[in-house]
Amino acid sequence: MASQVTVFVENRPGRISKVTRVLADNELNIRAITISDMGEYGLINVVTNDPDRAEEVLRKEGLTVSRKYVIGVMMEDKPGSLADIAEFLHKKEINVANAYGFILKEGARAVLIIEVDDFTHAERVLKKGGFHTLTKEELENL
Amino acid sequence: MKDTYWEGETETMDRRALQALQLHRLNETIASARNSDFYRGKLPVRVERLEEIETLPFTTKQDLRDSFPAGMVAVPKEDLVRLHSSSGTTGRATVVYHTKRDIDVWADLCARSMYMTGMRNTDVFQNMMGYGLFTGGLGLHYGAERLGALTIPASSGNSKRQIRLMCDFHTTAFHITPSYALHLYGVFCEEGVDPKRDLPLRIALLGAEPYSEGTRRKIEKLYGIDAFNSYGLSEMSGPGVAFECTYKEGMHVWEDAFLLEVIDPKTGTPLTDGDEGELVFTTLRREGMPLIRYRTGDIASVNRKGCPCGRTHRRISRIKGRSDDMLIIKGVNIYPMQIEKILMDIPEVGNNYLIEIDTVDYLDTLVVKIEVGQKTFHGTISELEGLKRRITDLLRTEILIHPKVVLVEHGSLPPSEGKAVRVIDRRGEK
Ligand SMILES: [Zn+2]
Repeated sequence: MASQVTVFVENRPGRISKVTRVLADNELNIRAITISDMGEYGLINVVTNDPDRAEEVLRKEGLTVSRKYVIGVMMEDKPGSLADIAEFLHKKEINVANAYGFILKEGARAVLIIEVDDFTHAERVLKKGGFHTLTKEELENL
Repeated sequence: MKDTYWEGETETMDRRALQALQLHRLNETIASARNSDFYRGKLPVRVERLEEIETLPFTTKQDLRDSFPAGMVAVPKEDLVRLHSSSGTTGRATVVYHTKRDIDVWADLCARSMYMTGMRNTDVFQNMMGYGLFTGGLGLHYGAERLGALTIPASSGNSKRQIRLMCDFHTTAFHITPSYALHLYGVFCEEGVDPKRDLPLRIALLGAEPYSEGTRRKIEKLYGIDAFNSYGLSEMSGPGVAFECTYKEGMHVWEDAFLLEVIDPKTGTPLTDGDEGELVFTTLRREGMPLIRYRTGDIASVNRKGCPCGRTHRRISRIKGRSDDMLIIKGVNIYPMQIEKILMDIPEVGNNYLIEIDTVDYLDTLVVKIEVGQKTFHGTISELEGLKRRITDLLRTEILIHPKVVLVEHGSLPPSEGKAVRVIDRRGEK
C-alpha cells in the first residue's frame, strides 16, 4: 500500500521550502508533491520513498502531519493513459477526492496518485480492471 | 422543611425581614470597618435605610493592594486566626484576614451551599481543589466537615491517585474545576474505570473557572451525576458566596451574609434587577476585615423572581465576563470569556486560540485564531473547514457577531499556560 504524508501549513512565505528542506536534510526523496491551497492555509501532500520516516522527521520539526493511504496506479506516459483510468473509475463509481501524477522516465512510465474514500475497495476494483497498483516496496524502489 | 434546608429560617426568610436583618448587619459592619486604617473617616456613623448604601464609597482591588499588608483589618491582631492571600500575578498581593468567628461563619455558608445541592452527612466528599493560600480548597473542606460528610482532602492534581481514592473510599461527591473534570474523564478511560458504572458518584461541585452550560451537561453525562455551579471570590472569603440549588437556574447569593448590588461598571450607577452589570458586595458578617461595596469586576445579572426551591435569596446568572475585559465590537458589548467558554467546549480547540480585533475599511473585525494540532488534523480539508464552520456558527449565536475563524500552525500562538494574553486589540494602532 502506498501512502502520502500531508502537512498543515499556514499560507506564508517559506513554508513549502521548510517542508522540502526537512525532507532533503534527512535524505528522503520526494516522488511527488502537491498543494491544496485554501487561502489562509494549505495542505502539502508529499509522496516519498520512505513515508514512515518522512512522517517522523516532519513531526519532530513541530509540524502537524497526517498519514494517508493512497493508490499509486502505474500508467504509460502517452496521451490517453490518464483518460483511461479516469473513465474506468467513473464507470465503477469510485469517487476521487484528489489526484496527481508524476512521470518516472520521459516517454516511458508515469504514476497517478489518487486519494479515495474507500481505499481497499478502489484498489481491488483497479486490480481487477487490469491496472497495476504500486506496493509500498515498489514505491520505495522507484 | 428540616430536610430541605441547612438553615431553613434564614434561607426562606421573607424579603422584608431579610432586608431588616441586612440593615442591622450593615450598621454593625460600618461600625466595625471604621476601626480600620483604610475606612477611618470615610464612613458615616450609621445609615437609616438600606438604600443609603449608595452614598458609601466603593472599595476596589487597587484599594486592597494599596492597603497591603493589613490596612483594612478592623480588629486587634490577637483576634485574627487565619489569612488568605492572592498570588499577586499582577501588582501586589491582596490579603484577607479572618477571626475565629469568620472561619466559623464561612464554614456555615459553605455547608449551607453544599446541603442545598443535596449533599448530606452520609456523603463521601473528595475535595480536588488546591489547598493552601487559595481559598477554594479550604473553604469547602470546612463546609463539608461542618455538614458532616466524610471529607477526603485530596487537593488538586495526580489523576491516578484521585481515581484510586474514589474507588477505594466510594466517593459520592467531589469538588473540581470543570476543565479538570473533563481531563480526569480521559484518565478514567485509560485506567479502564467507568465512573458512571463503577462508582457511586452523584454530585460534582464545579468552580474556580468560567465554563458553559454545555460543559456542565457534558460533565453530568460523562460521570452520570448532577453538577452544580458556584460563585465565590477570595475577597468575600472564598467559595460559599452564591451556589446553585437543585433547580440549577442561577446561583442563590447568601444575602444574610453579603449585601449585593449591581452597578454600571462605567458610571458606578446602581442598576435594577435583571440588568447586566458589575457585582458589588458588602460583607455583612465579617469581623476581621469588613469590606464595603467591593467591586468584584464580575459581570452578571440578578434574578429576583422566587425560586421553586423556596429560598428567598436572589439568584445571579453565570458570570458573563470581567468588566476590565469588556470589548465593544460593532457596537456590541462582548467579553472574551464568552468566546473562551465556547472554544473550551470544542475538544479540538482547547486552550490554543487567540482573539484579534482590528479595523478594516473603518469596520471592526473579530478574528479568532485556532491552532491546528495533531489531534485536530487527519489530513482532509473537509474536516478543517467543518471545524471552522462549527466555531463560526457557535460564536455567531453567542455574541451576535460574525467572526472570521483562521486556522494557524501548531506552536504559532503564545503558550496557553497561566494568564497568557488571549486578546489583542489592534484598533487604534494605526
Ligand atoms: Zn432555588
